[in-house]
Amino acid sequence: MGEVIVVTSGKGGVGKTTTTANIGTGLALEGKKVVVVDADIGLRNLDVVMGLENRIVYDVVDVVDGVCRLRQALIKDKRYSGLFLLPAAQTKDKNAVNPKQMQTLCNELKEMFDYVLVDCPAGIEQGFKNAIAGADKAIVIATPEISAVRDADRIIGLLEAAELRDPLLVINRVRIDMVKRGDMMNIEDMIDILAIDLLGVVPDDEAIVISTNKGEPAVVDNVSMAGKAYRNITKRILGEEIQFLELDGQEGFMSRLRKLFGMK
Amino acid sequence: MYEEKFVAFKGSKEGISIYLNRNSDYANLKKQLIKKLESAKQFFEGAKVISIQGKVLSDEEKEEIKEIMYSKFGMVIVEKNEEIQRKEIQVTKEIFEGIEEGNTKFIRATIRSGQRIQFEGNIIIIGDVNPGAQVMAEGNILVMGALRGFAHAGTSGNERAFVAAFSLQPTLLRIGDMIARSPDNETIKPMGPEIAIIKNSVVIIEPYLPNK
Repeated sequence: MGEVIVVTSGKGGVGKTTTTANIGTGLALEGKKVVVVDADIGLRNLDVVMGLENRIVYDVVDVVDGVCRLRQALIKDKRYSGLFLLPAAQTKDKNAVNPKQMQTLCNELKEMFDYVLVDCPAGIEQGFKNAIAGADKAIVIATPEISAVRDADRIIGLLEAAELRDPLLVINRVRIDMVKRGDMMNIEDMIDILAIDLLGVVPDDEAIVISTNKGEPAVVDNVSMAGKAYRNITKRILGEEIQFLELDGQEGFMSRLRKLFGMK
Repeated sequence: MYEEKFVAFKGSKEGISIYLNRNSDYANLKKQLIKKLESAKQFFEGAKVISIQGKVLSDEEKEEIKEIMYSKFGMVIVEKNEEIQRKEIQVTKEIFEGIEEGNTKFIRATIRSGQRIQFEGNIIIIGDVNPGAQVMAEGNILVMGALRGFAHAGTSGNERAFVAAFSLQPTLLRIGDMIARSPDNETIKPMGPEIAIIKNSVVIIEPYLPNK
């Protein structure tokens, strides 16, 4: 029996889809059987980020409506044998699916895979409710901006109201040089406000833009910092205790973070 | 005339009371009432009706009669009973006085953006109140953590209520009817626990532990 993890943020453009693709690919690299589900019906992106857009025949709405069988809609990744994508419909909208149907779908996928990653759309409306309906766990993405933190806070509140307790935080697009200058929100301040456990910190990296455009998740790339950060996040999801990246020689900073969470 | 016994008018300083015969049915009463009003249209125009007595009418029937009187004859309906009731409600909605000792709600959680806590008494939060969250108490508010959202103490009008927090940095603060907001350009990080109270009709914030 697998685990359903929803990747959400509230605010748009903070990297939900990128993170979903990278964690999904990362878990597949570790030999797990993974399916990534695009719940952003009407604005599908996950297929593009993973470079699988030309293989979509059926989508999640077709599965829910019974047009096709679940296995027919699952797209096998071109590089990793354990990785599958369940794409969203582009011609429908969020109301094409209801939370109950998503729950049934997630339960079905859980039987087939070790990990089911659901890419949640931005916002707190129907699409969000659908995406979290079948989830066992949640990962909240926030960038170091006040608006993103505010939205993440709201999302955490809504997740708690939906009985999804103890979500994990991924801080994305950190520019350590800006944080140092005091021009960007401090990571410690973010954790202070959101008061949830940190799963990982991903630096702002050109490699992400390049890999997204190429349709090859950065987690595969051994050189980039972002790739490394995503690999660490993957390992933490698998239960390994991995030290937080020392971003650009920020000595003492990460160890302070670790102390904050009792991780040594 | 026998008919006249169905509907009677009684005038007083405040206005006119209408009596409807208890033993008659509504349709007949309505007919009689209209007939009577028609007969002295000028007299009744602009008259104040303070009550409809006698036969007990349903809400719809009452509404219909009022509507007829208002639209056809230009009568003003000021129902005294309702006014008295309203006054009574206002009296029962009194200022919460339990700020020395009274009903208190304890909440052990982080209050997040979009969440709203309301209580007819004091509120103690063991956790933070984040930006975008609202805490409203008829009594005091005590946050055993950081208060970064909106807090309103003494919502029912008690100006002696206070807001205290280990780290008091609200976006907006209200005590009774007084409003205070955070300064625009400077970010103040309080060094210790602080309390907000009303002094000389101004919300002031001061540390409550000496020598700290």
